[in-house]
Amino acid sequence: MIGGELRSDVATTFDVLSWELELAGARCIFLDTLIGKLLGTVAPEHREQLIEGIQAVDLLSQHLTGLSTFARSLSQTVGAPEQIEVGGALRSVTLGALADRMTSSFGGDEAGINDGDDAGDLDLF
Amino acid sequence: MNMVQPGTRILVADSDRAVLEMLQIRLDLAGYHALAARSGPAALEMAHNMRPAILVLDLAITEMSAFDVMAALQRDVSRPCGQILLVGKRLGVDEVKRGAALGVRACMLKPFSGADLVERVGKMLKPASPAPSPGAGFTPRPAPAGRPSPSSDVFI
Repeated sequence: MIGGELRSDVATTFDVLSWELELAGARCIFLDTLIGKLLGTVAPEHREQLIEGIQAVDLLSQHLTGLSTFARSLSQTVGAPEQIEVGGALRSVTLGALADRMTSSFGGDEAGINDGDDAGDLDLF
Repeated sequence: MNMVQPGTRILVADSDRAVLEMLQIRLDLAGYHALAARSGPAALEMAHNMRPAILVLDLAITEMSAFDVMAALQRDVSRPCGQILLVGKRLGVDEVKRGAALGVRACMLKPFSGADLVERVGKMLKPASPAPSPGAGFTPRPAPAGRPSPSSDVFI
């Protein structure tokens, strides 16, 4: 089950967020590298567009890395072991593999959904 | 910047899928051949079959304790992996010492960034530098009673 009743402390919540943002950033870097490799294969008239794309992905990667650093820093400064209910928030995550990974990281049951398993959307209930 | 020997195998053993995939992408992009295992037994099997230069082992790996994994690797005379980098959220002095006795070369406290880990792996693969001055080697920083210090990385 994804996104049922599930509790986590605040530090772990920021920690899980930080890893997911870091993963998203790593995927952007991968995409950035891929587009870079394609640059030499496209017609000169399309290169400028591709370079704009590389710059946008690079900015997105830095954006995500910055947010990940922020969340990681918060996870280390939050001291109170206060528990929050994360299951409700997880229900709003419609990317199946993401919701499944986060559920597992919070200690919930994993459904084994991978990124390639579907187009991304998942009916949670 | 570290020069990476192309195809150097790095095995990452972590039960957290986000951490595993993120590190795999980061290491691959850095030029390594990243391998992934989600459990202790899987890590052991992959270490035997693939003989990685470095095993990045999470202290909280499932199905088998990280210490059991290390002990099994230590007992194996065929030496299936080069160095061990132990990572974890709750790495205190006791865990570091116990790991060191089981062949751990370096430790990193979670959370860390992918860039941090790639940098650490690069340093571990560098040829050995001249002998350090006395007292500059095994210097684990004790974790405070609350949350551990985020920067307490240790080279052993």
